This record gives sequence, C-alpha cells and structure tokens, in this order.
Amino acid sequence: MATQGLEQGQSLRYVRTVGMTTMRGRGFYYPIDSAMSNSGRLYVLSRSFERAVSDSMRVTMLNEDGEYYGVFGSAGIGDGQFRWPCGIAINDQNRVFVTDEYLNRVSVFNESGEFLKHWGSGGEIDGMLNGPSGIVFDQDNNVLIADSRNHRIQKFTSDGEFLQSFGEYGNGDGCLNLPWGLGVDQQGEIFVADWGNDRIQRFTPNGEFVAKYGSPGRQEGELIKPAGVIVNQEGYIYVADWGNERVQVFGPDGEFVQKIRGQATNSEWAEDFLGVNVEEAGARERANLEPDIDYFNDDPHEESSHIEKLFWGPVSLMLDSESRLFITETNRHRIQVYERDN
Amino acid sequence: MPENQIELIAHLARRAGFGATREELEEYAGIGYEATVDKLLDTSSPKWMSEYLIRRYHPDESSMLAGLSGLEAWLYRMITTDTPLLEKMTLFWHGIFATGYPKVLNAKPLSDQIRMFKKYAMGDFRNLLVEMAKDPAMIIWLDNQQNHKDSINENFGRELLELFSMGVGNYTEDDVKECARAFTGWTIGNCEYMELRSARDSDWPYGRISWHYEFDANDHDNGEKEFLGRKGTFNGEDIVEIICEQEATARFIARHIYHFFVADEPPVPQWPYQAPRDPEAIDQIVQAYFDNKYDIRSVMKFVFNSDFFKSEDCWYEKVKSPAELVTGVMRLTESVDRPQYEHSSRQLRMQYMGQTLSNPPSVEGWDGGTTWIDTGALVERMNFASEELGRVETPGSNELFNKIAFEGSGDIDADRIVDICLKHLGTINVKDDTRSKLVNYVSKNGVIKVEDQGIDEIGKEKIAGVVKLIASTPEFQRA
Repeated sequence: MATQGLEQGQSLRYVRTVGMTTMRGRGFYYPIDSAMSNSGRLYVLSRSFERAVSDSMRVTMLNEDGEYYGVFGSAGIGDGQFRWPCGIAINDQNRVFVTDEYLNRVSVFNESGEFLKHWGSGGEIDGMLNGPSGIVFDQDNNVLIADSRNHRIQKFTSDGEFLQSFGEYGNGDGCLNLPWGLGVDQQGEIFVADWGNDRIQRFTPNGEFVAKYGSPGRQEGELIKPAGVIVNQEGYIYVADWGNERVQVFGPDGEFVQKIRGQATNSEWAEDFLGVNVEEAGARERANLEPDIDYFNDDPHEESSHIEKLFWGPVSLMLDSESRLFITETNRHRIQVYERDN
Repeated sequence: MPENQIELIAHLARRAGFGATREELEEYAGIGYEATVDKLLDTSSPKWMSEYLIRRYHPDESSMLAGLSGLEAWLYRMITTDTPLLEKMTLFWHGIFATGYPKVLNAKPLSDQIRMFKKYAMGDFRNLLVEMAKDPAMIIWLDNQQNHKDSINENFGRELLELFSMGVGNYTEDDVKECARAFTGWTIGNCEYMELRSARDSDWPYGRISWHYEFDANDHDNGEKEFLGRKGTFNGEDIVEIICEQEATARFIARHIYHFFVADEPPVPQWPYQAPRDPEAIDQIVQAYFDNKYDIRSVMKFVFNSDFFKSEDCWYEKVKSPAELVTGVMRLTESVDRPQYEHSSRQLRMQYMGQTLSNPPSVEGWDGGTTWIDTGALVERMNFASEELGRVETPGSNELFNKIAFEGSGDIDADRIVDICLKHLGTINVKDDTRSKLVNYVSKNGVIKVEDQGIDEIGKEKIAGVVKLIASTPEFQRA
C-alpha cells in the first residue's frame, strides 16, 4: 500500500471482507453497486449475467456484520425486475433506486424491497435515458444519473421529473465518454467517473466544469477506466480505478495520495462455507494463494484473477456514517471494508 | 476492376476470414491479390472491440463463473476484428487441440488457452506445441497432472502424437510411453486445491481462481529415453523438437490446413485409410513447412497464393462451421459496434447449429465438412442468417438500400436487384438455377421503386426478402 502526502488520519487501513459468491439468496453474484440506508442496512446490487438463473439478479440486504435480511428483484422486464441493473442509491426517505442500463429506467423500492414504481424511458432528448448507470442523490434530495450512452449527467427529482442535463460526448473539459459512477461532496459539487476518458471530472452543482483528475496509465495518480468515485468529509477523493484493479485516493486538489490493491480475508459467510466443506478448506489451507508467476502482459486484471485477496473489478465505493470505505468488487463477489488509520 | 478478380478475392476473404463486404473486397482488389494475402497475414496489431467495454457490460466475460464463459467475448472479437485471419487460425488450432469444459470445469483457463492460441497461432509450430503442452487447461483435459515420474499417465503423450502432430500409424507404443516420461512434472500450481474445486464445480467463496503452469522438478523423469529412434535425456521441449522434424508431422498438419482452409476432407479418423483429396497439394504444403522451418505464417502465405487454393474447383467446397457462419453474418450486418444484451443469444444459436466452442464433442474436435449439416442444424443455420440479414434497420441493410437507391429513380429491374444483393452479401456466385429463382421471387413480389426519398418501407421489406433467400442458398452457407 503506497501512501504519500497524507494528512493525519487519512491513510486507509483494511478492516474486513463482507459477502461471498452465491447464485441465489444470501450472497452476491457479480455485485455492481452498493448503498446503505439511514439505519445501516446495506443493499448490494447483483448484476449477474444474461444466461444466469432469474433470481441471481437481485438486491441482497444485510448489515456489515453479515446479518442477512433477504433479497428482492429478479431478471425480467416486469415491475421490480432488471435486465442490466447497474446503480443503486437510497434517498433520505430510505427509498431504494436502481438504474437499469438496458431497460432505460429507474426502479424504486421501499426499505423492505417492495416495488413502488419505475420511471424513465429510452431516448436522446433531455429527460430520456440511454444506458443509465451510476446514480447518487445530491443535497437537495434530487437524483443524478450517469446517462452513459448519451455521454451526459442528468438530474431528476425523486419522482423522475427532469431538472437538468450537462455534458456531451468528447474528451475536452466537461465532455464525457461513457460516464459511470458519480459522487457528490459536502458542497454539492459533482464528481464523475469519466470511464471512457480515464479521468475523474468535477462539476459545480449546476454542471459547470471545475477540474479533472488523472490521465490514462498505470502509474500513481493515473487511471484506467475508473468506475466509481466518492468524496469524504475532508474533500479527499476516492476512485475505483477499475481497469487498474485498485482504489486510489486523491487529495482535495487532485494530488495523488494513496493506492490500495486489496487484501481480502475470509468473510463471515466464507468462513461458514469453509467450516462445513472441510475437504475444500483443507486443500485451500495447503495452497499458495499468492503465487509468484508472470502474468499475461503484466495486466493487473490477470494478476487479480490468480491472487484472490486482490481487488478484481473494484467498481463502486461507499462511505458509511463512520467514514469507513466500502469497496464493491464485481469479479470477487464481495465488499472489502477500509477505515481511516487514526 | 475485373469482376473475376473480385470474386477470387471474395474466395480468399471467406477462407482467410469470415467473408467481406463489397466495399472491403473492392479495397482489396485495389491493391491486388498477393498484397491482400500479405495484408491478411499481417497480424502485428489486431484491433477489435475493447476488452474493457466487453467486461463493463458483460461481467461474466471478465471473471467467468459460468460454464463456457469467455465465448461471447471471443464472438465479439471475431465479429469486430480488423484481423480476421488471426481469429480463423485460432479457430483452426482450437479444432485440433480441442479442449472441453466438461472436464476442465473452469472457463477462465479455457479462455486463456484461446488467447494462447492467438499469440502463437502463426509462429513457429514448435513454440505452439510447447505452449500447448504447458497450457493449464490442456494439462487437466489430458490428465498430465497425474503423469508422475514413478507412475506415468500416457494420456497427454498419446494425444500429442496421435491427434496433435503425427497421426496414427507413425509411432509405436514405446514412443508413447517415452513421450509421456518426458512430460512428467508438467503440471499446474496448487493442483490439489484446483482439481478439487473443479471436481465440485466450486466457485466459493470468491469466484474462480485462474490456473498457472508449474514445473515440478522433483516429479520429472530425467532418465534416458528412446523416442522415434533417438536417444537422450529428453524433456518435453526436446520431444517437441523431434516431433516437428518428422515428415509425418508435416503431412498431418498439411492435411489439417487443407481441410480447414482449402476443401473439406473426410473426418480425421479416416485419414490413415483414405487418400487426401489432392495429394499433390499436401506434398506442396509439406515442402513449405520444411522450407520455412515450421513457420506457420509462411506456410499459410504459400497456401493462399497457391494454384490449388485459387482454383475455382475449391470455391464453395467447404461448409461454413457454425462459428464462421454466425460471425460472417453478424459482420455483414455491421450492427455490433457495442456490447449488446442480445449477444448472448447469438452464441446460443451457434450451439443450436452444432458447435459449442470450448466444448468439442471429443478430443478429436469437430469433424467439420458436411457433418455440420443435418435437418435441424440446417434449419437453424438458414433461420439465423435470414433473421439477422433480413433486419431492415441494421447499418448493413441501410447500405444495401442506399446502393439500390443509387441506381436512380423509378422501377428497378429484378435482375439488377438480385445482382446488387449478391454483391452486397460478399459477392456470392450462385448457380444459374438459383439465380433465376431469386429473380423470379423479386418479379413476383412486385416492382421495387426508388422515389426521391429513397426506397419506401414496403420496398425495403421486399429487398430484405431477397436477402433472406440468398442467406438460405447453398452458396451462402458454404465458403
């Protein structure tokens, strides 16, 4: 874990891992985003994939200690169903919003997972969607959506009434290329994971360009296809550097601060599994899970496919009320939790 | 530009790729046949749909939990590549070194194997054989992790000689044993754990873990071996070197190349008993193999420039494999420019036609040729090609409509419509009888008229009907 220029208490320290792979029920299946309600209930959105069983595409409810509350949602086009679910966010009334980048709509559920309604339709004009992915609420309880294939960010009320749009296709300042994750800081400024342009862009609450951070590459401070971004109370910017299979921390002015590559351990659910599958647990114990080998093209994606503890598909970031960072990993079907090292 | 020159290049594009649009063919014809061969053989900087883009929208193509994951990514590559020969060569080697999911039970190593084929497909055959022997999926597929110095397992050694290089009848049972001894200790890392996970099809707790090759020096037989008349303390690399020197190897690979790229041969098990369709062509390929020191790219250059390849006698003499058909059709539609939810179903359609990549029917791969055609498969092939090419909203269809509209306003002659459609679908040269039926179909369905605004929706549907019919012809279903 490399760090530099850290202020006191800003270094991240690994705490625990939550979740495990399961096709149904208690567990995750290609989790793509997570959100937490006011009461501390964690909602993990499983993207699953086209050929998988219908109920593998779901939202799993739990708390960070692994207490399981159930699931809702399934694959399909009916009410409360998904095809390409991508983002999840919770408003101040604990309504759960899920974007679907195939169905071009936002589904709304109550805290228990009961379907309430959906809104949105496919198209290019303002208020219409083409591949809605990242979703976040701003300080006014309006919802911001990364309208990915329209290469813009759109703002709606919680009821889906269009308010504002900014961004267009391109790589200039303020332009976007398949934006994905979104974050909002204490001042209401909007941070966009500008996925196709390998950078983070920062906008005023009204969508005016402020700054950009990162450039394409694998060095410190460089980014490859960032998928998620979030800002802590002190203005530190956490980035899910998806194509580099790592999380990077930038200072309030965008200077590189730290990178972490992941150090997962067995979650409580993983321990449960290994506890009853003793033969597999024994063989796992005897295996070297950190082999020293050459990886194809030195690609971190390949390294992560071989070394289980490393991030593989770190896609979204979430901060809880104690400023702990929750990092959702699609390809390892889990969440790694980090806290600030005070 | 002479039409026969374009037709010859269309033949090359069907064999060295997945067919080509009329525009691509005219571009190739502009530089000439031999330069086109060189262009197709240049695989130094292939481009296809971004892997990041595929992984973003299809996470199972990234970590591959499910059986046969990775195939949709491969299909994207085949459809969108600008270097189609590299994909064809990869398909070629996959058919010979056929490795299947039901025993490996981990899709990532299978996908890694396909990537390895792509890397070594057109280089020195010795390197390809060595990498194939070190490939983790192949090691598990043919049990080489159970090939120990004190207790050999002959499976890999036998198939290396029988199916991957020399063919039956060119070695002895003792050669098989000695070959196996040379590959003892060639295994995968964390073998116990990985084998157990595969046996249980376990992806717990955190998904699949990739496999890696490991040489266990303590389990390798360093003793003297006698192999194909040579003596020495051979290891696997030495065995490959000796194998590649054999005329039987050159002949076996030459017949495979002829079968895949020139004209259908009988299934491999019949080769010891049935002479090649064109023995002289096989002799020439064998010579090219030795003249070029086992360099496959050079061998392919010789083949594509040979008279036997260019001869009209072998045009349309190959039945397209399902992978070739599905890929070729989707390339013609020009509609796959981004990840699509519907993509998964295309890969399934290929399976319904009888070919599941990374899941061959046996270690011998697919027989190919007319075995691709049975009643069910033929209907599926015709339906797929007709459905996809008959969609009026695709960029490929729009190009066709524009070409017809370019003819000028008024009624377009039925003959002319058929001509344009045949050219549009890759310059298909159908038999006279087929052609007259196509013309008759157009005539019966009423005139197609070009107005100031182009072709109306009814006219487009009529044209789509012609395209669907052409997609069902034997000439389109063949290469």
